[in-house]
Amino acid sequence: MNTKKKGPAAKAAGSNKRPLLVSLRYYKGFYLMFLPVLAFAIVFNYLPMFGIRYAFYSYKGIKEPVFVGLAHFEKMMKMSGFWNAFGNTITLSVVKLLLNTFTAVALSLMLNEMKSATFKKITQTIVYLPHFMSWVVTASVFTLILSPTSAGLVNSILIKLGILKEGIYFLADKSWWRTMFYGINVWKDTGWGTIIFIATLSGINPELYEAAAMDGAGRWNKLRFITMPALNNTIITVLILNLAKVMNLFESVFVMQNDAVIQVSDVLHTYIYTQTFNSGALPDYGYTTAVGLTASLVGCVFVMVCNKASHKVRGRGIV
Amino acid sequence: MRVKKMLAAGMAVTMAASVALSGCSSSAKTGADATSAGAITESGSSTGESKAENEIKKPDKITIMVNSTVTTKANNRDAFEKRWEELTGIDLEIIQPDHDAYFDVLGQSFASGPENWPDVIILNGSYYTGYAEEGALWDMTEAWENSELKASGRVTGEDVIEATKIDGKLYGFPDARRGGCLTYVKKKWLDNCGLEAPTTYEEYLNMLKAFTEGDPDGNGINGDTYGVSASGLMGAKGGDPSSNYLPEFYQDAQPNFVRGEDGIWYDGFTKENFKGALERLRDAYSKGYIDKESLTNGTKDCRNKFYEDKFGVFTYWAGTWASNLKNNLEANGKDGELIPLKPIKEVGTYEEGTAPVWAITSACENPEGVFKYFIESMLDGGDMQMLWSYGVEDVHWSTKAETVLDKTYAAGEFHTRESLEQPGTQYTKQHLDPTLAIATWENDPGKDTVKEEAKVSQKIFNENCHQAIIIPSTEVMATYNGDLTTLKNSIVADVVVQGLSIDAAYERFEKEGGAEWSKLIVDSLNELGSSK
Repeated sequence: MNTKKKGPAAKAAGSNKRPLLVSLRYYKGFYLMFLPVLAFAIVFNYLPMFGIRYAFYSYKGIKEPVFVGLAHFEKMMKMSGFWNAFGNTITLSVVKLLLNTFTAVALSLMLNEMKSATFKKITQTIVYLPHFMSWVVTASVFTLILSPTSAGLVNSILIKLGILKEGIYFLADKSWWRTMFYGINVWKDTGWGTIIFIATLSGINPELYEAAAMDGAGRWNKLRFITMPALNNTIITVLILNLAKVMNLFESVFVMQNDAVIQVSDVLHTYIYTQTFNSGALPDYGYTTAVGLTASLVGCVFVMVCNKASHKVRGRGIV
Repeated sequence: MRVKKMLAAGMAVTMAASVALSGCSSSAKTGADATSAGAITESGSSTGESKAENEIKKPDKITIMVNSTVTTKANNRDAFEKRWEELTGIDLEIIQPDHDAYFDVLGQSFASGPENWPDVIILNGSYYTGYAEEGALWDMTEAWENSELKASGRVTGEDVIEATKIDGKLYGFPDARRGGCLTYVKKKWLDNCGLEAPTTYEEYLNMLKAFTEGDPDGNGINGDTYGVSASGLMGAKGGDPSSNYLPEFYQDAQPNFVRGEDGIWYDGFTKENFKGALERLRDAYSKGYIDKESLTNGTKDCRNKFYEDKFGVFTYWAGTWASNLKNNLEANGKDGELIPLKPIKEVGTYEEGTAPVWAITSACENPEGVFKYFIESMLDGGDMQMLWSYGVEDVHWSTKAETVLDKTYAAGEFHTRESLEQPGTQYTKQHLDPTLAIATWENDPGKDTVKEEAKVSQKIFNENCHQAIIIPSTEVMATYNGDLTTLKNSIVADVVVQGLSIDAAYERFEKEGGAEWSKLIVDSLNELGSSK
């Protein structure tokens, strides 16, 4: 076994002198290629972060910002609209995330069991398609399907079956809106979510199934003792990665929201939108930045907690 | 380990840089703030000094920032600019961001300091009051009072100018009316039901009942139509009064802040007449007279349903839209004859929204000159008004013998040309809508091209409207009005769509802080009024 170390790390380990410079020189080609990526990240990801400071200023876009310390955060804590939006964001995001993940896993398992490759590919294409529809189009289509009038497909079927006497205004009824929201999200994103799980499933060594079959394992036991353990890591990784985005809910809610359901649908980013464009006065960008910063921090905390939990449960995290 | 150290060091440097840059930036801008405040004060003080006409100096250059309501680059803005410079001998610089990004770019220009402010900008709604409140606009009251335009007696829209004043001061000039919505009724439907155009709420409601329960479209089926549709129950998002699509139900009630005849501000939502409006809306909605989908309708949805003969009463824009509605109904094989209603007795007058304005920034070095040579000249009744209305000869309009799209024009016949930006359509205006301009224009070459139904509906609206008042911007309003508006909209929807009782609705208003925010805003408005 060749244990001879050739890289700069080995040389550095020996001499213990300026390892960074040595490393830079040795891998200069790679660093050079990395430069555009680094520049892009600095310009578009890090420099905009300086805008965070406006959370501590009063700023209406005309006069210079005035430092107000934590005043925006104090106001935020007192506003019922903020807490309502905060609660809705967590509820809608987390339920949506769990539903989407588990329906994607279920669908992946079903697709994995399909024997006909052609049928499997056709099914996959069909379930991927909704992902490519914009939320505006999706909302328009479902507004029509769920219309309370005779034009609404769902209501007209329910009325004809005698289940309902009068159509339900699904998208303007507080008791129905969230169900519809979750349903539409599952319809739109489940197919796309299966890609990563199907990739994992196709990587499972078939010999494991053959060995299990020889040991007398049926479909259920193969699923329980081979497939699911193999999928666990992917499920946790997907959950943690998506958790980072839970506070960013906006477009899907905004296009389906209306005045009647604002109490159950207003999320932090639609709240920011209202504060900016609906106040009848020049908005204080400081306040909306403070709300946005809070959302980002909460998202960050979620990821760290989940990563920690992953460490405890699996012995390793992903971050 | 080394990587961790590097990461830690990187984070520390980033945070330190953030704090340092924030601090630097803050102190630098404080300095700039003092400068800008000084500039504003100096400029503002000059407004009090009325200059005689002969003292007004012609500017060498004027910089304007406009949205796409002015001739766009795609529509050959260069030709427009060249013609304007020919007419005035002044160098004109036009900054025209994308329409949707206009207020963002404008805000960025203002934030970068007075030295970067354009001389003239277009503003509307809360941006106008907000910029004025922040001291960013030049007070043009004196300039207007002493202008040749005012003295000419050609101005027909002095009420529009008065309505644009903030605490008696004019910070922006509306070259045209905002226009507004009136109620159209399908004549054939009225005839089929044996009804006359309604003049009272009772008659209006009877008409809606007949349209909902009867067979107004004559297809032999009762009850497959409804009375009226709207996009939202409180007008378009944001509650612009000029787009209140259900005025017959609201009547004299206002969901927003109103200044009484005694000059005292109050919140219309908290008044008894608003509760009456909510009851009327709830009653009509529960009976199916109002489109069940009103909450989720966009204005385009309403128009399409109207063209498909799903309902018969539509409150929509007066003027050109009267022709559009008629044409689209006919294109759909329906009867296109519409009756533009005068406001019913309980409504009194329709409300006309606050017009967009041309404002001069307080950083402008020669505001009197800019007012005279740029703003006032737009309504000169001659070449300049022609330019702002129809654009440049042989670019946007022509009198040559030619065929434009499917229409052939004889030599000497005025006509607009095919749009460069939207091929397949003819230009209707470049910036100034001649039917809405606030000054008479005897020689308007396009006055005969306006369709009769458009003229009639605009005339009825103009004769039966009042100007919406401008609500000043206050700090308290900026703080609470977003939440308050959301709460009000939600309560109205609860009452009308979910059938919540009025008492329960106002209990919710109280419980969720609406009453308190409303009082704080009203107090701030009254305080603002008394301090000036």
